[in-house]
Amino acid sequence: MVSLPADEEAVDGSDGSDGSDGSDDAVADGPVPGDLDAVGRARYLAGVMAEIDDEVRRRRSSGDLPPNLERDLDQLFLEFSPVGSQGHARLRETLTLVDSSAFIDIAVPVESQKQAGTYVKRLIRKTISWYMGFIVTQITKFGWAVSRMFHLVVDHVEELEREVATLRPPELPDGAVPVADDASRWWAADAVDALRGTDGRVVHADCGSGSLVALLVEAGVDAYGVDPDDLALAPAIDAGLDVRAEPVLGHLEVVEDGALGGIVLSGSVQWLHPADRQRVVELAGARLADGGVLVVHSSTPEAWLRTAPPLVADLAPGRPVHADTWSHLLAAHGVRTVSVRTGGEDRRLERVDGTSDGAEVVNAAVDLVNELLAGPSEFVLVAARER
Amino acid sequence: MRLTFVTPRYGTEVIGGAETAARMLAERLGRHPGWDVDVLTSCSLDHLTWENTEPAGTTSLNGVTVHRFPTASRRLLEYFALDGRLRVSPATATLEQSRRWVSLNGPMCPDLVDAVAGSDADVIAFYPYLFATTVDGAAVARVPTVMHPAAHDEAALYLRAFRDCFRSMDGFVYHTQAERALVEQVFSVGAHPQVVLGLGVNDPAGDGRAGGDLLGIGDRPYLCYLGRVDEHKGCTMLAEFFARYKERHPGDLALAMVGPVSAEPPDHPDIVVTGTVSEADKWDILRDARVMVSPSAYESFSLVVLEAWTVGVPVLVNATCAATMEHARRSGGGLWFGSYRSFEATVDRLASDARFRADLAEAGRLYTERFYRWDSIIERYGAFLRSVVARGHKENAGARPLPLITAGAAYERGA
Repeated sequence: MVSLPADEEAVDGSDGSDGSDGSDDAVADGPVPGDLDAVGRARYLAGVMAEIDDEVRRRRSSGDLPPNLERDLDQLFLEFSPVGSQGHARLRETLTLVDSSAFIDIAVPVESQKQAGTYVKRLIRKTISWYMGFIVTQITKFGWAVSRMFHLVVDHVEELEREVATLRPPELPDGAVPVADDASRWWAADAVDALRGTDGRVVHADCGSGSLVALLVEAGVDAYGVDPDDLALAPAIDAGLDVRAEPVLGHLEVVEDGALGGIVLSGSVQWLHPADRQRVVELAGARLADGGVLVVHSSTPEAWLRTAPPLVADLAPGRPVHADTWSHLLAAHGVRTVSVRTGGEDRRLERVDGTSDGAEVVNAAVDLVNELLAGPSEFVLVAARER
Repeated sequence: MRLTFVTPRYGTEVIGGAETAARMLAERLGRHPGWDVDVLTSCSLDHLTWENTEPAGTTSLNGVTVHRFPTASRRLLEYFALDGRLRVSPATATLEQSRRWVSLNGPMCPDLVDAVAGSDADVIAFYPYLFATTVDGAAVARVPTVMHPAAHDEAALYLRAFRDCFRSMDGFVYHTQAERALVEQVFSVGAHPQVVLGLGVNDPAGDGRAGGDLLGIGDRPYLCYLGRVDEHKGCTMLAEFFARYKERHPGDLALAMVGPVSAEPPDHPDIVVTGTVSEADKWDILRDARVMVSPSAYESFSLVVLEAWTVGVPVLVNATCAATMEHARRSGGGLWFGSYRSFEATVDRLASDARFRADLAEAGRLYTERFYRWDSIIERYGAFLRSVVARGHKENAGARPLPLITAGAAYERGA
């Protein structure tokens, strides 16, 4: 429940006529949408609309509007709406249009402004009713069969949607994921070097503030960026860069095969759900032109365990995988690994002086700790699409 | 930098729509130093008949050079029959059927297409996607091209005849992110250079007269619809919803429908239909409205939503319209309705709460200020066009002209 400026003024439609229209009442202070950031405004508005939806449900259950009239009004709205415009949620509503159109009325209106006209129309209707009745009965049967089939399909789709929803990981809270400033990272130069001279457009996902896109453009690369967080993109938009608020998977789905000269994957790509990661790999292989370059930056799995923010570590749908795993996945789609370099924070323990007593045992333990817990925290993998 | 717009209609007589957006951009950009802007268009101002009403040749309009070319065919009745057939399942229409639809939709202007082929402009901007001038022009252009699709989720967008046209473009300029997502999904052009630009909002004008006086309703509060009064703009639905609302909520509230009338809504004592009004009257009526309602599900940008915010009026939009929903959601400047019930509840909420309305309108005003000031729009547009020019033109190999269809009965207005 959000705090609204006019909670106490919310419409009480219990009697169906609150007399509210037109009255300009003074209201209590509350949050001003204009003072909020974009996320805050979206939440505020979602809260208001949730309250209005509750009000709609309450009024609907009160039965204060005759069901037939409400259905007619809703159909009027649907007539002037794109079919399925709100995805599967409107399947059921759209189906009501099919249902209402399935019956064909044979009782053609005969009213006329002229008295003789009514008589003539009635005569025509009566004369051909045997013919029309035969035809219309068959068409109506067909309409009902189609309608029945659609009902079964919608039932099935809704059942599948419910099952899929149970598999969906919870959303990461806003702000849980730090925005990457990739150009200041150790691997930015590797990415620029790998992509310099690339023939075709290069996309960076997630591009964040667009710093790596800017470096690539400076190096003469025709680069653009995508990022699911549209707030993070603001500096890039202000800088005139070609960036879009899209997740990497959604973006690669709407690119032609062979259209990209290069792809840089970083940020949230590393903790995609395994099925989504697999789809990204497939699409990357398809969308890269022959000889196209792929750069993957990721945390190492070991570093992820010790450095990921708790919420991200617990709620992220997937986990980073090793560079070898990326190589294996990419190779299956015609993208061969060229190089892997590690970097980032390195917290390896130093070995002790080998001449001191027990040094061999201690160093063996140090090596083991380094290998398991304290190795390089990130890697950058460069691969190329086979020609 | 020399920019040529290609648009099916052009002129101050063309109210609303993509062609007006093209004119606004052309005039604004043409005033900037370093830009030389001209327009290639038809001799027609009527998109229903394509009748040649303007003289062919070159004129100047508000500082922009306009080259007009005659249409070679009026709209034929065959268009409506084919449109009805293809509308059911546009994606399954054959390429030849869909090319015939584009040709019949017109305007077919062979001389304009020749002018595009011979153009030595730095860049050509096609605006919007829907017409034969865009499809035929894009096929023959030899310089960098951008398209302002002005697309929304309509049957024609799925016709195969548009596929090569979209893919041949060197860049896209979108009104909204929703439009970009739609176009990318339908045509797989996600890798093309693009910018989500929108349009700038003019400074509010008006003579300071009371909107209620102009409407003849005195001090009564009112909701306002601005634009062409047309069934397909949701006006019939809005009038019916409002009439039901008034049955259940008697009171002073009125509805003003302001704009040229294509389809008269049902008579109702609380609904005022003004017909076309002057720009000053429009702003005066809008400024005093309680809420600006946008009932249309098919908007690609909706400038009036932004205009309402600039004069402190919140908006109520159709929940199935991607463009206006994007404005409302991103700005926090309005509510939406997806049924009669939610129309009733949102109108109740908005009409009863002045502070809430003011808060919404202020959020909308900030959003408009941030994204839709003309100076920043023009700066971003110019930078984008320069980047497209720098990349050069991708040849559209294999493109062929649309069939010119002249045989058949012509559509007559009012017939």
